Amino acid sequence: MREGTGARSSRRPGSRPVAVALSLCLALAAPAGAGPVETSGLAAAVAAGSLPPVAERLPSLPRVMPIQSACPADQLGGTLRMLGGSAKDTRTLPVFGYARLVGYDTDYNIVPDIAAAVDVTEGRVFEFHLRPGMRWSDGAPFTSEDFRYFWEDMAKNPAIAKFGVPVELLVDGEEPQVSFPGPYEVRYEWSRPNPNFLASLAAATPLEIFRPAHYLKQFHERYQDPETLEETVEKEGQRNWVALHFNKDRGQRNDNPDLPTVQPWKLATEPPAERLIFERNPYFHRVDQEGRQLPYIDQVSLTIANPDLIPAKVANGEADLQAAYLAFPNYPFLKRGEARSDYTVRRWRSGRGSHIALFPNLNATDPVWRGLLQTADFRRALSLAINRDDIDKAIFYGLAEPAANTILPGSRLFDPALRTRWADYKPDAANALLDGLGLERGANGLRRLPDGREMRIVVETAGESSEQSDVLELVREDWRKIGIDLLTREAQREIFRNRVKAGSTLMSVWSGLDNGLPTPATDPRELAPATAEQLQWPGYGMWVETGGTGGEAPGDIAALAGVRELIALRQAWEETLDEAERTAIWKKMLAINADEVFTIGVVTEVDQVVVVSNRLNNVPARGVYNYDPGAYFGIYNPDGFYFDCAAVAVAGNPS
Amino acid sequence: MIRYLGGRLVTMAWTLVAISIIVFVIIQLPPGDYLTSYIAELQAQGETVSSDKIAFLREEYGLDRPLWAQYLVWAGGLLQGDLGYSFEYNQPVADIVGERMPMTILLNAATIVFVYLVSFPIGIYSATHQYSWADHGLSFLGFLGLATPNFLLALILLYLANVWFGTSIGGLMAPEFIDEPWSLAKIGSVLSHLWVPVLVIGTAGTAGMIRRLRANLLDELNRQYVVTARAKGVPERRLLLKYPLRMALNPFVADLGTLLPQIVSGSVIISAVMSLPTTGPMLLASLRSQDMYLAGSFLMFLAVLTVVGMFVSDVLLALLDPRIRLGKSTPR
Repeated sequence: MREGTGARSSRRPGSRPVAVALSLCLALAAPAGAGPVETSGLAAAVAAGSLPPVAERLPSLPRVMPIQSACPADQLGGTLRMLGGSAKDTRTLPVFGYARLVGYDTDYNIVPDIAAAVDVTEGRVFEFHLRPGMRWSDGAPFTSEDFRYFWEDMAKNPAIAKFGVPVELLVDGEEPQVSFPGPYEVRYEWSRPNPNFLASLAAATPLEIFRPAHYLKQFHERYQDPETLEETVEKEGQRNWVALHFNKDRGQRNDNPDLPTVQPWKLATEPPAERLIFERNPYFHRVDQEGRQLPYIDQVSLTIANPDLIPAKVANGEADLQAAYLAFPNYPFLKRGEARSDYTVRRWRSGRGSHIALFPNLNATDPVWRGLLQTADFRRALSLAINRDDIDKAIFYGLAEPAANTILPGSRLFDPALRTRWADYKPDAANALLDGLGLERGANGLRRLPDGREMRIVVETAGESSEQSDVLELVREDWRKIGIDLLTREAQREIFRNRVKAGSTLMSVWSGLDNGLPTPATDPRELAPATAEQLQWPGYGMWVETGGTGGEAPGDIAALAGVRELIALRQAWEETLDEAERTAIWKKMLAINADEVFTIGVVTEVDQVVVVSNRLNNVPARGVYNYDPGAYFGIYNPDGFYFDCAAVAVAGNPS
Repeated sequence: MIRYLGGRLVTMAWTLVAISIIVFVIIQLPPGDYLTSYIAELQAQGETVSSDKIAFLREEYGLDRPLWAQYLVWAGGLLQGDLGYSFEYNQPVADIVGERMPMTILLNAATIVFVYLVSFPIGIYSATHQYSWADHGLSFLGFLGLATPNFLLALILLYLANVWFGTSIGGLMAPEFIDEPWSLAKIGSVLSHLWVPVLVIGTAGTAGMIRRLRANLLDELNRQYVVTARAKGVPERRLLLKYPLRMALNPFVADLGTLLPQIVSGSVIISAVMSLPTTGPMLLASLRSQDMYLAGSFLMFLAVLTVVGMFVSDVLLALLDPRIRLGKSTPR
């Protein structure tokens, strides 16, 4: 968990950060031998004196990335064009930038990033060593004061944190002991292990435990003169200082150009705008192997367009790097534009366990259906009756993988047998299972419920993907053959979610496991009831989430033994730090999910289409496109992407 | 006259109050509020939002207060010229709308001019040459424009403009110009993008306009005064323009009432389809995400424009055509 040893030697609480940076960076910043190289895009500002030279901007121990650019330093730069669907997409930049206290590497190990090193003791004491001399994007020093501000003035301030400290910082309700031994040391300590702490810091939407104190203090009651603060509140049209502070501090939403950041690019345009510009952060803490400060690219532009037009605009060469708003059905169309617009369509693996999955609602309120949906054999029959190969061929050009909803090859927990468990096309076996449940067929071929109603399952969708409706149409034909009718109902997403939670739906359709590439250290919360948002058991999820005060307890019946076991297994996972034990728990949970078919996966490995300009280098040919872990492009370090040298000069010009 | 105007103004005020209540209620009708849509969106991205945070945000945005209290806050603000605060953009509504106003007015004014320029000559021509081949042909073209779904036409033209002229898809200018100061190149880029939406929105309007002008003019052309004037030797062109055409303009002046709000909100669908930086898509988005102060203030703004437009057109009608009586003696 340590990177270099410089952090230790530089612990000089009394010394001025600038002096530290100066004295150490010459020795440590550039392992290739030469000193740090000035960025060409910033050279003018440095010459004019408005920006300190690169040696003073970098921390004394920058993070050295194992990346290279064939281009000479003075030819790096340019504008990376991307497209967004709404002004709110400013929030994707902190995801792509993926500068985190600790972050995942491409093998999904957690490594230090902003922190130079992290010492973990017994999984309960976390000591972060910051990079001496590191700065926020406005040049202010990045120190433990920023952590202290978050902890004491935000998380522990009842006005701002009305509901207490973030849940990720609680271990069974216990708050950590937080201390700041030095300007570059921060310590979080619990009496018991907090297994998810580092993962939540490395997430695509990270747990924030440091905020730019020097900036936010001007909006904080404790540090600001009441009259001035009142004036600012008035001027900004806010209700009170808390609302003002909240609005100025939305780092993940990334909509305040004044908010200092540690990401590679910072917002430069005041939203809302049709074209949002993100300028390079001149104080970014990473360098390449030759000592050149990252990011290579000077600017990212995010042009806002109607999501339906985005594939057309991409085919027209209006984006240099695009995956958002491109779906697999756009693939042939985008492929045709390759030559005309000088880009390459790449297929990245989706990190989702299943591209499309059906979720029987075990908490459905209809008592007859509920009993049936809670019966494993019924769910198995539904799964066996789906002809996944046909669906793959008809809708995904045969490029997807027919499989149950489980994790993906590539995770060391993957078991190929679970992919086909109850997921082969066996209509006869399905019929036999249904006959075994005593569901007789009526005159029109439809089976009858025990109370005499015909079996019609209404599958609800959020109505946002035509793929889902197409797949359901095919599933409908398959299910007719086992005597069950399928109807679809589209609702708006909020209504859809609320109906599922209320138990009004029998079945819903969504994508499968969000994280198809877990490690034993990943919280197995998707496999067990954990939150009220889970479509297959919202009631049980809420019961677990609220600690038994809300939702619905899984009753003491045989059919729910699997559910209760999953809850117990996840509990056991949280209580152990032993990797072998965690692996065993994961495997057990995966096996239970596969055998009980709590979710019915249809197809998986539907690749994400990624369009990359031919002038853009260092983008992996084949990667995994996943939100968390992975942060979409973030895990592949977009700060190391660069444009062809000769083309750099024209990159910013109108085309 | 003054008394009539005063009465109209009082009615306008009451109408606006009623509209504001209806607007507010309608925006609140769909289940949930801004936060439920916001949270659903976050969840779709894989984020987890705890119920604590939801409650916190609800309080922060003032969504925990009863509906009538929220209405009073908003309506009170409106009276003081404060349009409220947009949750989605995290900025005062006035700032957001103001930014898009110039482009919106440009687009819709251009469209209105286009409609008038095309339909006036055609309308006059087809009235004076009733049942000729040209009359039939032009009417056919007009109806074709009316009948083609706008969004389809827009997509086809976008594609053609892109393939033939290399115009970037969607928007009102090439992306590179968006933050640039105005220059000849930028104006050129705007013009090269503007013609598609103008044509698309315009074609739908021209047919109606042609038919109305043609029908009105035909009514007038056979009137006694026209015959008399012609008999007295007034030149045909002058005769046409001075008397029957003036009478035929009546409905156009009456149209003014709807024209004003159209300049601001017309062409919502096309703007959304072509992602034009006008206020239309913003209104649509705010309704969908239940960004209620933005949507509400928007609708109120349109209501005010409609009411004012009606007022102006009434006054103009009275000036243009003395036969229209004001006041209570004759019900309109």
